[in-house]
Amino acid sequence: MIQVRGLTKEYGTTSRLRGPGTVRAVDDLTFDVQPGKVTGFLGPNGAGKSTTMRMVLGLDRPTAGSALVAGRPFATLAEPLRTAGALLDAGAVHPGRSGRDHLRVAARTHGIPLRRVDDVVDQVGLGPAARRRVRGYSLGMRQRLGIATALLGDPAVLLFDEPMNGLDLDGVRWIRRLVRELADEGRTVLLSSHLMSEMEQTADHLVIIGRGRLIADASMQEVMRGQGAQRSVRVRTPSPDALVGALRRRRLQVHPTEDGDLLVEGATAETVGDVALETGVAVHRLAEEHSSLEQVYLDLTGDSVQYRVAVAPEPAGLVQR
Amino acid sequence: MSAAEVATPTTGTATVFRRAAGAEWLRLRTVRTTWWCLLAAAVTIVGIGATAAFDEATGPADPLTGLPATFAGEFGVLLGQFALLVLALLAVTPEYATGSIGPTLQWTPRRGVLLAARVTVPVVVATVAGVLLALVADVAAWLIAPDLTLTLADLADSLGRVAAVLAAGSVLAVGVGLLLRSTAGALATVFLLQLVLPALLPGFGVEWMADLGELLPGTGAVWLLLGEPDMTAAAAATLLVGWSGAALAAGGWSLLRRDAS
Repeated sequence: MIQVRGLTKEYGTTSRLRGPGTVRAVDDLTFDVQPGKVTGFLGPNGAGKSTTMRMVLGLDRPTAGSALVAGRPFATLAEPLRTAGALLDAGAVHPGRSGRDHLRVAARTHGIPLRRVDDVVDQVGLGPAARRRVRGYSLGMRQRLGIATALLGDPAVLLFDEPMNGLDLDGVRWIRRLVRELADEGRTVLLSSHLMSEMEQTADHLVIIGRGRLIADASMQEVMRGQGAQRSVRVRTPSPDALVGALRRRRLQVHPTEDGDLLVEGATAETVGDVALETGVAVHRLAEEHSSLEQVYLDLTGDSVQYRVAVAPEPAGLVQR
Repeated sequence: MSAAEVATPTTGTATVFRRAAGAEWLRLRTVRTTWWCLLAAAVTIVGIGATAAFDEATGPADPLTGLPATFAGEFGVLLGQFALLVLALLAVTPEYATGSIGPTLQWTPRRGVLLAARVTVPVVVATVAGVLLALVADVAAWLIAPDLTLTLADLADSLGRVAAVLAAGSVLAVGVGLLLRSTAGALATVFLLQLVLPALLPGFGVEWMADLGELLPGTGAVWLLLGEPDMTAAAAATLLVGWSGAALAAGGWSLLRRDAS
């Protein structure tokens, strides 16, 4: 269990234009991360996910607020690896040390036997590479080493910051399965990502932040439902005008899509199919669509994206859709 | 293994320190840099000591007969200390370049304990290595030039001074490393304070430069090893303790109070 209470982090800035000031990277965050679930920690780049995790682990000092791990501030724990394991930055390993030696150092800080080091090396599938120096590791191997370190003390709480970044499909599947197993064993798992598609398949619960502020703290279903993730039906017909008329007479909202289909909102495939039959128009395609988490997330965080690609103004005459 | 079982017997601060120190020692042992530094120190300290003794044995003899062989180790350490100071510095600064200070603080989040281990281990390693190498140089010198004397009293006195120089120097290096968090910056600072400025400043023949040189820690180290320039033992001790203490205080503040990286 992780408890975050009013957590705030301000950084001093010096701007030549505006003079010295402060930036709130994390702004009064409050949420709990429950055991037995995979909690997805979502937000655009720069939203404050990593800073929040660093404060939970006592690496950065909060400007205000507090964070408790298993009921205590992490920085007061005598054997922290037995309480919480974390992978924040897979690159944060001395390149001249072998992976196994890196794990041995971690084990030495806790009096963990070498047998356990070899166990986690096997568990993450690092194998003989563990005896090679980290300098030669691929990103995937570094991620595995970081996860082995997090698992070393068999902790009840796990934090992973963007663990799937840069992994190939096998690696992504492996992590997805691993976090699922860890949560099923009753552990608390906090998994950050900016990739919505990953979360959709992995997380049970979502904590969404943008610009350091809490946007949503709810189960996956609640987020999908609560955001009007209503169903719509995509239909393709050679005689769209007739069908649009018939649908509109039934007070259904219909929009043409870019590729010439029709999108009928709040309807089911049965309804639209029946209307088409009654109207006597041919249907070449009929599919129900759910708005994806991706879309929900974009809707939620739309106002809070910090770094947006600047779009040059469109020349007059070119009409945006 | 179940996550529910929480078997954390209360672990005392002494245990946490012992483990953290063991981990620091393992950190030092498991990178090649440490061994390269020790090799460089061995070659420099023993090599310079032996060469000086050889020079002694083959040169015009008489007036120097009866000189203690311990001058060899002192000469060697005067220059070879820098390999050991680099060893101490590299126990600290690379963690900030690689970000591995993050994992380190996740494993030993009690920063006071980490600071104690992080200062103690490199300082003890550098000091013990320096004393042993000086001893080897002394014995080698005595074997090369039998005119030199080697008494237990001379040895104890000389090795004690070598230990003081290396302990003070490596505390300075670790402190500056913790404060600056950059290998290049800390290395430049330590070299300037310990070697370059004390050696160069008096050479300009400008009074305030010479005076300034006498305020630097390297001058105290040179005095302890060679008995030059003219200053009291109290003044030299004040220099060494003052600079090391200040560096340790500043570096300690950096580790204890600032964000991890």
